[in-house]
Amino acid sequence: MATISFDLVSPENLIFNDEAGMIIVPGKDGDLGVLPGHSKVMSSLRPGRIMVYGEDKNLLKAFFVSGGFAEINPEKCIVLAESVVELNTLDKSSIEKEIQNLENKDEKNSEEKLLVAKAKLEAFNSKFYEKI
Amino acid sequence: MPSLKDIKTQINSVGSTKKITSAMKMVAASKLRRSQEKAEAARPYSSRLEEMLSSLGSSAASGEGIIKLLTGTGNDQNYIVVPVSADRGLCGGFNSSINRETFKLVKSLEGNGKKVQLMPVGKKSRDFFNRLMKDQIIESFVDLNVSNIGYESALNISNKLQELYFDGKFDKCILVFNKFKSAISQEVTQQQLIPLDVSNSEKEEEKENSSNAIYDYEPDEETILKDLLPKNVSIQIFKVLLESDAGEQGARMAAMDNATRNAGEMIDSLTLKYNRTRQAFITKELIEIISGAESI
Repeated sequence: MATISFDLVSPENLIFNDEAGMIIVPGKDGDLGVLPGHSKVMSSLRPGRIMVYGEDKNLLKAFFVSGGFAEINPEKCIVLAESVVELNTLDKSSIEKEIQNLENKDEKNSEEKLLVAKAKLEAFNSKFYEKI
Repeated sequence: MPSLKDIKTQINSVGSTKKITSAMKMVAASKLRRSQEKAEAARPYSSRLEEMLSSLGSSAASGEGIIKLLTGTGNDQNYIVVPVSADRGLCGGFNSSINRETFKLVKSLEGNGKKVQLMPVGKKSRDFFNRLMKDQIIESFVDLNVSNIGYESALNISNKLQELYFDGKFDKCILVFNKFKSAISQEVTQQQLIPLDVSNSEKEEEKENSSNAIYDYEPDEETILKDLLPKNVSIQIFKVLLESDAGEQGARMAAMDNATRNAGEMIDSLTLKYNRTRQAFITKELIEIISGAESI
Protein backbone atom coordinates (compact mmCIF):
# COMPACT_ATOMS: atom_id res chain seq x y z
CA MET A 1 0.00 0.00 0.00
CA ALA A 2 1.12 3.50 -0.68
CA THR A 3 2.19 5.85 2.01
CA ILE A 4 1.91 9.57 2.51
CA SER A 5 4.67 11.60 4.05
CA PHE A 6 3.65 13.36 7.20
CA ASP A 7 5.30 16.33 8.92
CA LEU A 8 4.24 17.53 12.32
CA VAL A 9 5.90 20.85 13.05
CA SER A 10 5.72 22.98 16.18
CA PRO A 11 7.34 26.40 16.47
CA GLU A 12 10.12 24.89 18.54
CA ASN A 13 10.97 21.91 16.40
CA LEU A 14 10.08 19.25 13.89
CA ILE A 15 8.25 16.59 15.88
CA PHE A 16 7.36 13.95 13.37
CA ASN A 17 8.68 13.46 9.89
CA ASP A 18 8.08 10.10 8.35
CA GLU A 19 5.92 8.06 6.02
CA ALA A 20 2.49 7.07 7.27
CA GLY A 21 -0.39 4.99 5.99
CA MET A 22 -3.07 7.28 7.30
CA ILE A 23 -3.39 10.33 9.51
CA ILE A 24 -6.44 11.64 11.28
CA VAL A 25 -6.38 15.39 11.72
CA PRO A 26 -8.83 17.42 13.83
CA GLY A 27 -10.03 19.93 11.24
CA LYS A 28 -12.07 22.89 12.36
CA ASP A 29 -15.23 21.55 10.79
CA GLY A 30 -14.62 17.91 11.64
CA ASP A 31 -11.97 15.25 11.61
CA LEU A 32 -10.12 14.63 8.40
CA GLY A 33 -8.81 11.22 7.53
CA VAL A 34 -5.84 11.70 5.26
CA LEU A 35 -4.87 8.84 3.01
CA PRO A 36 -2.28 8.83 0.25
CA GLY A 37 -3.64 10.68 -2.75
CA HIS A 38 -5.85 12.98 -0.75
CA SER A 39 -7.01 16.06 -2.61
CA LYS A 40 -5.40 19.40 -1.88
CA VAL A 41 -6.85 20.88 1.26
CA MET A 42 -5.80 23.60 3.60
CA SER A 43 -7.56 23.57 6.92
CA SER A 44 -7.27 25.18 10.28
CA LEU A 45 -7.39 22.87 13.25
CA ARG A 46 -9.30 22.77 16.47
CA PRO A 47 -7.73 21.41 19.65
CA GLY A 48 -7.77 17.67 19.40
CA ARG A 49 -5.98 14.49 18.60
CA ILE A 50 -3.75 13.73 15.68
CA MET A 51 -3.52 10.02 15.06
CA VAL A 52 -0.80 8.58 12.89
CA TYR A 53 -1.22 5.07 11.50
CA GLY A 54 1.21 2.81 9.75
CA GLU A 55 0.64 1.02 6.49
CA ASP A 56 -1.42 -1.74 8.11
CA LYS A 57 -3.59 0.78 9.92
CA ASN A 58 -1.81 0.10 13.14
CA LEU A 59 -1.66 3.12 15.41
CA LEU A 60 1.87 4.49 15.40
CA LYS A 61 1.55 7.66 17.40
CA ALA A 62 -1.11 9.85 18.92
CA PHE A 63 -0.61 13.52 19.64
CA PHE A 64 -2.63 16.27 21.16
CA VAL A 65 -2.45 19.65 19.39
CA SER A 66 -3.90 22.88 20.71
CA GLY A 67 -4.66 24.20 17.26
CA GLY A 68 -2.87 25.12 14.08
CA PHE A 69 -3.05 24.39 10.39
CA ALA A 70 -2.87 21.46 8.08
CA GLU A 71 -1.78 21.53 4.49
CA ILE A 72 -2.61 18.42 2.58
CA ASN A 73 -1.71 17.38 -0.92
CA PRO A 74 -1.63 13.95 -2.57
CA GLU A 75 1.93 13.19 -1.49
CA LYS A 76 2.32 15.11 1.70
CA CYS A 77 0.53 16.21 4.81
CA ILE A 78 1.99 19.04 6.85
CA VAL A 79 0.59 20.04 10.21
CA LEU A 80 1.72 23.29 11.78
CA ALA A 81 0.69 23.04 15.40
CA GLU A 82 1.02 25.53 18.19
CA SER A 83 1.78 23.13 20.95
CA VAL A 84 2.12 19.42 20.62
CA VAL A 85 2.20 16.73 23.26
CA GLU A 86 2.28 13.04 22.78
CA LEU A 87 -0.90 11.56 24.20
CA ASN A 88 0.71 8.89 26.32
CA THR A 89 2.79 11.48 28.17
CA LEU A 90 -0.34 13.22 29.40
CA ASP A 91 -1.45 12.72 32.94
CA LYS A 92 -5.08 12.92 33.84
CA SER A 93 -4.80 14.45 37.29
CA SER A 94 -2.53 17.27 36.11
CA ILE A 95 -4.95 18.20 33.34
CA GLU A 96 -7.82 18.23 35.81
CA LYS A 97 -5.81 20.45 38.09
CA GLU A 98 -5.08 22.77 35.18
CA ILE A 99 -8.77 23.02 34.38
CA GLN A 100 -9.58 23.82 37.97
CA ASN A 101 -6.93 26.51 38.13
CA LEU A 102 -8.18 28.08 34.94
CA GLU A 103 -11.78 27.98 36.06
CA ASN A 104 -10.91 29.93 39.17
CA LYS A 105 -8.90 32.50 37.33
CA ASP A 106 -10.67 35.24 35.49
CA GLU A 107 -8.17 36.46 32.99
CA LYS A 108 -8.63 37.60 29.48
CA ASN A 109 -7.18 34.60 27.75
CA SER A 110 -7.86 32.03 30.43
CA GLU A 111 -11.11 31.19 28.71
CA GLU A 112 -9.26 30.18 25.62
CA LYS A 113 -6.79 28.15 27.64
CA LEU A 114 -9.68 26.50 29.43
CA LEU A 115 -11.14 25.35 26.15
CA VAL A 116 -7.81 23.86 25.17
CA ALA A 117 -7.42 22.14 28.52
CA LYS A 118 -10.90 20.69 28.31
CA ALA A 119 -10.21 19.44 24.83
CA LYS A 120 -7.03 17.90 26.17
CA LEU A 121 -8.96 16.01 28.82
CA GLU A 122 -11.45 14.86 26.25
CA ALA A 123 -8.65 13.71 23.98
CA PHE A 124 -7.11 11.85 26.88
CA ASN A 125 -10.32 10.02 27.66
CA SER A 126 -11.41 9.40 24.12
CA LYS A 127 -11.02 5.93 22.75
CA PHE A 128 -12.12 6.79 19.24
CA TYR A 129 -9.88 5.81 16.38
CA GLU A 130 -7.63 3.69 18.52
CA LYS A 131 -8.48 0.67 16.45
CA ILE A 132 -9.69 1.04 12.92
CA MET B 1 60.18 52.86 37.41
CA PRO B 2 57.76 50.27 38.76
CA SER B 3 59.19 47.79 41.17
CA LEU B 4 59.40 44.11 40.31
CA LYS B 5 56.58 43.39 42.73
CA ASP B 6 54.24 45.86 41.01
CA ILE B 7 54.76 44.22 37.63
CA LYS B 8 54.28 40.78 39.10
CA THR B 9 50.89 41.78 40.58
CA GLN B 10 49.85 43.26 37.28
CA ILE B 11 50.76 40.09 35.42
CA ASN B 12 48.76 38.05 37.89
CA SER B 13 45.68 40.20 37.59
CA VAL B 14 45.76 40.20 33.79
CA GLY B 15 46.22 36.45 33.99
CA SER B 16 43.07 35.98 36.01
CA THR B 17 41.12 38.26 33.68
CA LYS B 18 42.30 36.09 30.86
CA LYS B 19 41.04 33.01 32.64
CA ILE B 20 37.62 34.59 33.04
CA THR B 21 37.34 35.73 29.44
CA SER B 22 38.46 32.40 28.06
CA ALA B 23 35.91 30.63 30.26
CA MET B 24 33.20 33.00 29.04
CA LYS B 25 34.23 32.30 25.50
CA MET B 26 33.89 28.59 26.07
CA VAL B 27 30.46 29.00 27.66
CA ALA B 28 29.31 31.22 24.80
CA ALA B 29 30.56 28.70 22.26
CA SER B 30 28.54 25.88 23.75
CA LYS B 31 25.49 28.08 24.15
CA LEU B 32 25.90 29.19 20.57
CA ARG B 33 25.68 25.64 19.38
CA ARG B 34 22.45 25.15 21.27
CA SER B 35 20.89 28.41 20.09
CA GLN B 36 21.87 27.62 16.56
CA GLU B 37 20.22 24.25 16.75
CA LYS B 38 17.10 25.87 18.10
CA ALA B 39 17.04 28.48 15.39
CA GLU B 40 17.38 25.75 12.83
CA ALA B 41 14.64 23.68 14.43
CA ALA B 42 12.27 26.61 14.18
CA ARG B 43 12.98 27.17 10.53
CA PRO B 44 10.68 24.52 9.01
CA TYR B 45 7.66 25.98 10.79
CA SER B 46 8.22 29.54 9.72
CA SER B 47 9.06 28.65 6.16
CA ARG B 48 5.95 26.49 5.79
CA LEU B 49 3.84 29.20 7.36
CA GLU B 50 5.22 31.68 4.88
CA GLU B 51 4.38 29.36 2.03
CA MET B 52 0.83 29.02 3.25
CA LEU B 53 0.48 32.73 3.69
CA SER B 54 1.79 33.51 0.28
CA SER B 55 -0.67 31.17 -1.35
CA LEU B 56 -3.47 32.69 0.68
CA GLY B 57 -2.37 36.29 0.67
CA SER B 58 -3.36 36.89 -2.91
CA SER B 59 -6.98 36.32 -2.04
CA ALA B 60 -7.11 39.03 0.58
CA ALA B 61 -8.48 42.30 -0.61
CA SER B 62 -8.64 45.22 1.76
CA GLY B 63 -10.76 44.30 4.68
CA GLU B 64 -11.75 44.92 8.22
CA GLY B 65 -10.61 43.27 11.41
CA ILE B 66 -7.72 40.91 11.44
CA ILE B 67 -7.08 41.19 7.73
CA LYS B 68 -5.67 44.60 8.57
CA LEU B 69 -2.51 42.82 9.67
CA LEU B 70 -1.96 42.16 6.01
CA THR B 71 -3.38 45.18 4.31
CA GLY B 72 -2.45 47.88 6.80
CA THR B 73 -4.58 50.61 8.27
CA GLY B 74 -4.21 52.88 5.29
CA ASN B 75 -2.18 55.35 7.32
CA ASP B 76 1.46 55.59 8.08
CA GLN B 77 1.55 58.29 10.71
CA ASN B 78 2.24 56.29 13.82
CA TYR B 79 5.16 53.95 14.06
CA ILE B 80 6.22 51.52 16.68
CA VAL B 81 9.82 50.42 16.70
CA VAL B 82 10.90 47.25 18.46
CA PRO B 83 14.63 46.98 19.03
CA VAL B 84 15.64 43.47 20.05
CA SER B 85 18.80 43.41 22.14
CA ALA B 86 20.35 41.11 24.70
CA ASP B 87 19.78 41.19 28.42
CA ARG B 88 23.46 41.09 29.18
CA GLY B 89 26.51 42.93 28.01
CA LEU B 90 30.08 41.87 27.31
CA CYS B 91 29.32 40.88 23.78
CA GLY B 92 31.15 43.42 21.70
CA GLY B 93 29.14 45.79 19.57
CA PHE B 94 26.06 43.60 19.63
CA ASN B 95 23.82 45.79 21.77
CA SER B 96 25.22 49.16 20.87
CA SER B 97 24.79 48.58 17.16
CA ILE B 98 21.13 47.76 17.71
CA ASN B 99 20.66 50.85 19.83
CA ARG B 100 22.47 53.07 17.38
CA GLU B 101 20.51 51.77 14.43
CA THR B 102 17.20 52.16 16.25
CA PHE B 103 18.09 55.64 17.37
CA LYS B 104 18.91 56.63 13.81
CA LEU B 105 15.70 55.08 12.52
CA VAL B 106 13.59 56.89 15.10
CA LYS B 107 15.24 60.20 14.35
CA SER B 108 14.78 59.82 10.63
CA LEU B 109 11.14 58.84 11.02
CA GLU B 110 10.56 61.79 13.30
CA GLY B 111 12.31 63.98 10.78
CA ASN B 112 9.61 62.96 8.32
CA GLY B 113 6.94 64.06 10.72
CA LYS B 114 5.93 60.62 11.95
CA LYS B 115 5.07 59.77 15.49
CA VAL B 116 7.28 57.05 16.88
CA GLN B 117 6.88 54.86 19.91
CA LEU B 118 9.26 52.29 21.26
CA MET B 119 8.89 48.84 22.65
CA PRO B 120 12.35 47.59 23.52
CA VAL B 121 13.02 43.91 24.04
CA GLY B 122 16.01 43.08 26.22
CA LYS B 123 17.54 44.92 29.13
CA LYS B 124 20.29 46.62 27.19
CA SER B 125 18.05 48.48 24.79
CA ARG B 126 15.48 49.19 27.48
CA ASP B 127 18.12 50.88 29.62
CA PHE B 128 19.49 52.78 26.67
CA PHE B 129 16.14 54.19 25.60
CA ASN B 130 15.08 54.75 29.17
CA ARG B 131 17.86 57.30 29.31
CA LEU B 132 17.19 58.93 25.96
CA MET B 133 13.50 58.75 25.11
CA LYS B 134 11.75 57.58 28.22
CA ASP B 135 8.36 59.02 27.35
CA GLN B 136 8.22 57.18 24.04
CA ILE B 137 8.48 53.74 25.55
CA ILE B 138 5.10 52.12 25.91
CA GLU B 139 6.17 48.72 27.06
CA SER B 140 9.33 46.75 27.45
CA PHE B 141 10.13 43.08 27.63
CA VAL B 142 13.14 41.95 29.58
CA ASP B 143 14.42 38.72 31.10
CA LEU B 144 13.16 36.54 28.33
CA ASN B 145 15.04 33.63 29.80
CA VAL B 146 17.81 33.90 27.30
CA SER B 147 19.09 30.37 27.40
CA ASN B 148 15.64 28.90 26.99
CA ILE B 149 13.52 31.08 24.77
CA GLY B 150 10.12 29.56 24.40
CA TYR B 151 7.33 30.26 22.05
CA GLU B 152 5.41 31.67 25.02
CA SER B 153 7.56 34.76 25.32
CA ALA B 154 7.15 35.48 21.63
CA LEU B 155 3.43 35.06 22.08
CA ASN B 156 3.38 37.65 24.86
CA ILE B 157 5.09 40.23 22.72
CA SER B 158 2.92 39.52 19.74
CA ASN B 159 -0.29 39.68 21.75
CA LYS B 160 0.68 43.03 23.15
CA LEU B 161 1.53 44.34 19.71
CA GLN B 162 -1.73 43.17 18.22
CA GLU B 163 -3.71 44.61 21.08
CA LEU B 164 -2.12 47.98 20.44
CA TYR B 165 -2.56 47.64 16.72
CA PHE B 166 -6.26 46.95 16.87
CA ASP B 167 -6.69 49.77 19.34
CA GLY B 168 -5.37 51.96 16.55
CA LYS B 169 -2.29 52.94 18.51
CA PHE B 170 0.05 52.52 15.56
CA ASP B 171 0.03 51.87 11.83
CA LYS B 172 3.37 50.27 11.23
CA CYS B 173 5.65 48.14 13.31
CA ILE B 174 9.33 47.77 12.57
CA LEU B 175 11.65 45.29 14.24
CA VAL B 176 15.33 46.06 14.57
CA PHE B 177 17.41 43.03 15.38
CA ASN B 178 20.69 41.29 14.78
CA LYS B 179 20.39 38.76 12.04
CA PHE B 180 22.55 35.75 12.60
CA LYS B 181 24.81 35.35 9.61
CA SER B 182 27.57 33.21 10.98
CA ALA B 183 29.18 32.57 14.34
CA ILE B 184 31.33 35.63 13.94
CA SER B 185 29.13 38.05 12.08
CA GLN B 186 25.74 39.52 12.77
CA GLU B 187 23.92 41.98 10.63
CA VAL B 188 21.63 44.64 11.99
CA THR B 189 18.37 44.20 10.13
CA GLN B 190 15.12 46.09 9.98
CA GLN B 191 11.99 44.15 9.29
CA GLN B 192 8.52 45.48 8.89
CA LEU B 193 6.28 43.26 10.93
CA ILE B 194 2.90 44.94 10.67
CA PRO B 195 1.45 45.23 8.12
CA LEU B 196 2.99 42.15 6.64
CA ASP B 197 5.68 42.94 4.17
CA VAL B 198 4.60 41.09 1.06
CA SER B 199 7.51 42.09 -1.09
CA ASN B 200 9.54 39.00 -0.25
CA SER B 201 6.63 36.62 -0.25
CA GLU B 202 5.51 37.77 -3.63
CA LYS B 203 8.28 35.81 -5.22
CA GLU B 204 7.07 32.69 -3.51
CA GLU B 205 3.61 33.45 -4.68
CA GLU B 206 4.73 33.19 -8.27
CA LYS B 207 6.39 29.92 -7.52
CA GLU B 208 3.25 28.68 -5.89
CA ASN B 209 1.13 29.76 -8.81
CA SER B 210 3.38 28.13 -11.31
CA SER B 211 3.11 24.84 -9.46
CA ASN B 212 -0.62 25.20 -9.87
CA ALA B 213 -1.54 25.03 -6.25
CA ILE B 214 -5.26 25.00 -6.05
CA TYR B 215 -6.35 24.14 -2.59
CA ASP B 216 -9.64 23.48 -1.00
CA TYR B 217 -9.99 25.58 2.07
CA GLU B 218 -11.62 24.44 5.20
CA PRO B 219 -13.64 26.18 6.63
CA ASP B 220 -12.85 28.90 4.07
CA GLU B 221 -10.04 31.13 2.96
CA GLU B 222 -10.96 34.07 5.08
CA THR B 223 -11.26 32.10 8.30
CA ILE B 224 -7.92 30.48 7.74
CA LEU B 225 -6.33 33.78 6.96
CA LYS B 226 -7.75 35.20 10.15
CA ASP B 227 -6.13 32.43 12.11
CA LEU B 228 -2.96 32.50 10.16
CA LEU B 229 -2.11 36.20 10.28
CA PRO B 230 -1.83 36.65 14.05
CA LYS B 231 0.11 33.43 14.22
CA ASN B 232 2.48 34.69 11.60
CA VAL B 233 3.24 37.73 13.73
CA SER B 234 4.12 35.56 16.71
CA ILE B 235 6.21 33.25 14.60
CA GLN B 236 8.14 36.12 13.07
CA ILE B 237 8.87 37.46 16.52
CA PHE B 238 9.86 34.02 17.72
CA LYS B 239 12.23 33.65 14.82
CA VAL B 240 13.75 37.04 15.49
CA LEU B 241 14.23 36.21 19.18
CA LEU B 242 16.01 32.99 18.30
CA GLU B 243 18.21 34.65 15.71
CA SER B 244 19.07 37.41 18.08
CA ASP B 245 19.92 34.90 20.81
CA ALA B 246 22.19 32.96 18.50
CA GLY B 247 23.75 36.23 17.35
CA GLU B 248 24.32 37.31 20.94
CA GLN B 249 26.20 34.14 21.77
CA GLY B 250 28.23 34.46 18.59
CA ALA B 251 29.08 38.06 19.33
CA ARG B 252 30.03 37.22 22.89
CA MET B 253 32.21 34.40 21.73
CA ALA B 254 34.05 36.67 19.29
CA ALA B 255 34.38 39.45 21.85
CA MET B 256 35.72 37.12 24.51
CA ASP B 257 38.09 35.53 22.06
CA ASN B 258 39.49 38.96 21.32
CA ALA B 259 39.73 39.81 24.99
CA THR B 260 41.56 36.57 25.70
CA ARG B 261 44.02 37.28 22.93
CA ASN B 262 44.60 40.82 24.11
CA ALA B 263 45.19 39.61 27.64
CA GLY B 264 47.72 37.13 26.30
CA GLU B 265 49.57 39.86 24.47
CA MET B 266 49.51 42.06 27.53
CA ILE B 267 50.95 39.28 29.66
CA ASP B 268 53.72 38.76 27.11
CA SER B 269 54.70 42.40 27.08
CA LEU B 270 54.49 42.64 30.87
CA THR B 271 56.66 39.56 31.25
CA LEU B 272 59.22 41.12 28.97
CA LYS B 273 59.17 44.25 31.05
CA TYR B 274 59.46 42.20 34.20
CA ASN B 275 62.50 40.34 32.90
CA ARG B 276 64.17 43.54 31.71
CA THR B 277 63.66 45.21 35.06
CA ARG B 278 65.04 42.20 36.84
CA GLN B 279 68.07 42.14 34.57
CA ALA B 280 68.60 45.85 35.16
CA PHE B 281 68.64 45.26 38.90
CA ILE B 282 71.15 42.45 38.56
CA THR B 283 73.40 44.49 36.31
CA LYS B 284 73.25 47.40 38.69
CA GLU B 285 74.18 45.23 41.64
CA LEU B 286 77.03 43.62 39.69
CA ILE B 287 78.42 47.02 38.78
CA GLU B 288 78.27 48.04 42.40
CA ILE B 289 80.11 44.90 43.53
CA ILE B 290 82.76 45.17 40.81
CA SER B 291 83.39 48.85 41.38
CA GLY B 292 83.53 48.16 45.13
CA ALA B 293 86.07 45.39 44.58
CA GLU B 294 88.16 47.63 42.30
CA SER B 295 88.39 50.42 44.81
CA ILE B 296 90.00 48.22 47.44
